Amino acid sequence: MKRIEYTVLAAALLAASCGTQPGGQPSQRQYLVAFSQCNNAEPYRAAQNALLTRLLAAAGDVKLVIADAQQDNARQVAQVETFIRQKPDLLIVAPNERAALTAVMGQAVEARIPTICLERDILQPNYTTYIHSDNRAIGRLAGQFIADQLIKKYGTAKGNVVQMRGLLGVEGEINRDAGAKEVFARYPGIHIVAEPVADWIQAKAKDRMTEVLRASPSIDVLYGHNDPMAVGAYLAAKELGRDQGILFVGVDGLGGEAGGIKKVMDGVLGATFVYPLCVDKAAEIGLKILHDPQFHPEKEYTLESTMVTAANAADLFKKL
Amino acid sequence: LKGTLIGLAGIVLLAILFSPRAADGSRIFLQPGNLTDILRQVALIGIMALAMTYVILTAGIDLSVGSIMALATAVTAMRLTASPAGMGHVQAMVLAIGAALLVSAGAGALNGAVIAFVDVQPFIVTLASMIGIRGLAKWLTHNTNIDIGFGQDVAAHFASLFWQKAVVVGAFAVLAVIFGVALARTVFGRYVRAIGDNEKAARYTGLPIRSVKIWVYGLSGLLSGFAGVLYTAENHQGNPNAGVAYELDAIAAAVIGGARLAGGKGTIAGTIAGTLMIGVVTNMLRLNNVDSNVEMMVKAVIIVLAVAAQRQRGAE
Repeated sequence: MKRIEYTVLAAALLAASCGTQPGGQPSQRQYLVAFSQCNNAEPYRAAQNALLTRLLAAAGDVKLVIADAQQDNARQVAQVETFIRQKPDLLIVAPNERAALTAVMGQAVEARIPTICLERDILQPNYTTYIHSDNRAIGRLAGQFIADQLIKKYGTAKGNVVQMRGLLGVEGEINRDAGAKEVFARYPGIHIVAEPVADWIQAKAKDRMTEVLRASPSIDVLYGHNDPMAVGAYLAAKELGRDQGILFVGVDGLGGEAGGIKKVMDGVLGATFVYPLCVDKAAEIGLKILHDPQFHPEKEYTLESTMVTAANAADLFKKL
Repeated sequence: LKGTLIGLAGIVLLAILFSPRAADGSRIFLQPGNLTDILRQVALIGIMALAMTYVILTAGIDLSVGSIMALATAVTAMRLTASPAGMGHVQAMVLAIGAALLVSAGAGALNGAVIAFVDVQPFIVTLASMIGIRGLAKWLTHNTNIDIGFGQDVAAHFASLFWQKAVVVGAFAVLAVIFGVALARTVFGRYVRAIGDNEKAARYTGLPIRSVKIWVYGLSGLLSGFAGVLYTAENHQGNPNAGVAYELDAIAAAVIGGARLAGGKGTIAGTIAGTLMIGVVTNMLRLNNVDSNVEMMVKAVIIVLAVAAQRQRGAE
């Protein structure tokens, strides 16, 4: 092939990939909602994308575009910058990390784009509204559940706990950790014997847990800061034949076949705590912002968690 | 080089053609804000790719640049946040940046020394340091990010200063000129090109091959460290996990720009054109809201086509 043919081929390819967007002006006003998602690879994020897509499609007059930052701060900053140039009617950002996204979200607000900060906070209030759940409260719920289970097991609050930690420095990780430790601090018999970091990822958690199991002969509870990590740890324990003696507790409680609620039904997890997807609230508030110029959202919305155990898992599974 | 420039021009043209329009009917791609966004977004990879071009010219490769960058972000943020209260801001910034650059250049020079004296292939040496230096960055920081706030302390001042587009893009431009002139017009530049062209001949002519290699890898470390300093300001954090796979982006930029991995062939202008090409393609796809997974596939094809076009040109 000649050089010119390669060039033409490249041009055709680019044209094809850009041309996938339907052109032409729709008859009625169509709103552009841009969603900067930090990492599609996490099941929690995938569930967010699916629910938000469904809710906004139901509205009928909204076009949603989602950009996946693939857990890379620099990539997400660039994607938000590009969104700002497109002047969407609403910008939703689920920040990968707090420090990195603060400044660029300030630019979005300066550009007068209504901006929803979703689920993770940033260093300055550079948003129209911040919709999140209370990870500290979830941490406390999980901690109390673990303490209660240990009391049930030994008659007194004692035992060895392993914490599988998410991506360090992220609000969810900090508070799911701190909330549980607040509770553990009241029970001197409860020891945290290991706190490996698995960055929310199931495969990493399996590896980290294998190492912990080799080093610690006695483990009563595994507290995973999300369900996939708790499941990863379970798989490691199962492989070494030690899953029976350990109570696995997770957080997130997603619905669907791959979600944490199903894992509770299957007996893999002893309990999980629903971490609200937040996008249902974001869709509700976002649509109000789009449709009602008089509407001024609160600066912050905090959503509550639900504990999922074998007792209520089947009911919740049907609902979600 | 001519082929790369034609390619760049073609992609810019396509980006203009396919650019969505703003509310006032103008093309978003051509907005000054968007164009400078692109420059800032490619600046870090671009800076690394400058020294990578030197490395590739000597028939080498440097896989450790992303890890060195991460180490530099860690050192910069740690020094800044640990500055004694009484120290002046300028002095504290100079010390922090100096420490990061020193460590980075040192790591790079160590790569070069092992390659030159132990005679191990650059791929293997820098693969090892890619792993080891990443480990060092994680160990230093206990694998946590060191956040920089928005207050009045020295770290916040540093970020607000080095975060600015003009500083980042300006630094890339100045470094590009320096590296371009040094390669084309200096004795050192001639040595770099001669070694990759034919190392045996260069040795017989008595060129200081070892010291040139140490310098080249040292410069690669230095520029990666500088990219790390800019990353720290831009992202308000020292991040031991930053820069993963950046080495591949830097190599891709040089290769699209006409650098030959076997050495001896490549220019700074070509590398800059290659860097911009990646930046414009990315921006074009994002402005059109193309799925980011498709973005990766498109980039892959662009790389192969760009290199194929050059190969064709070389054969003609």
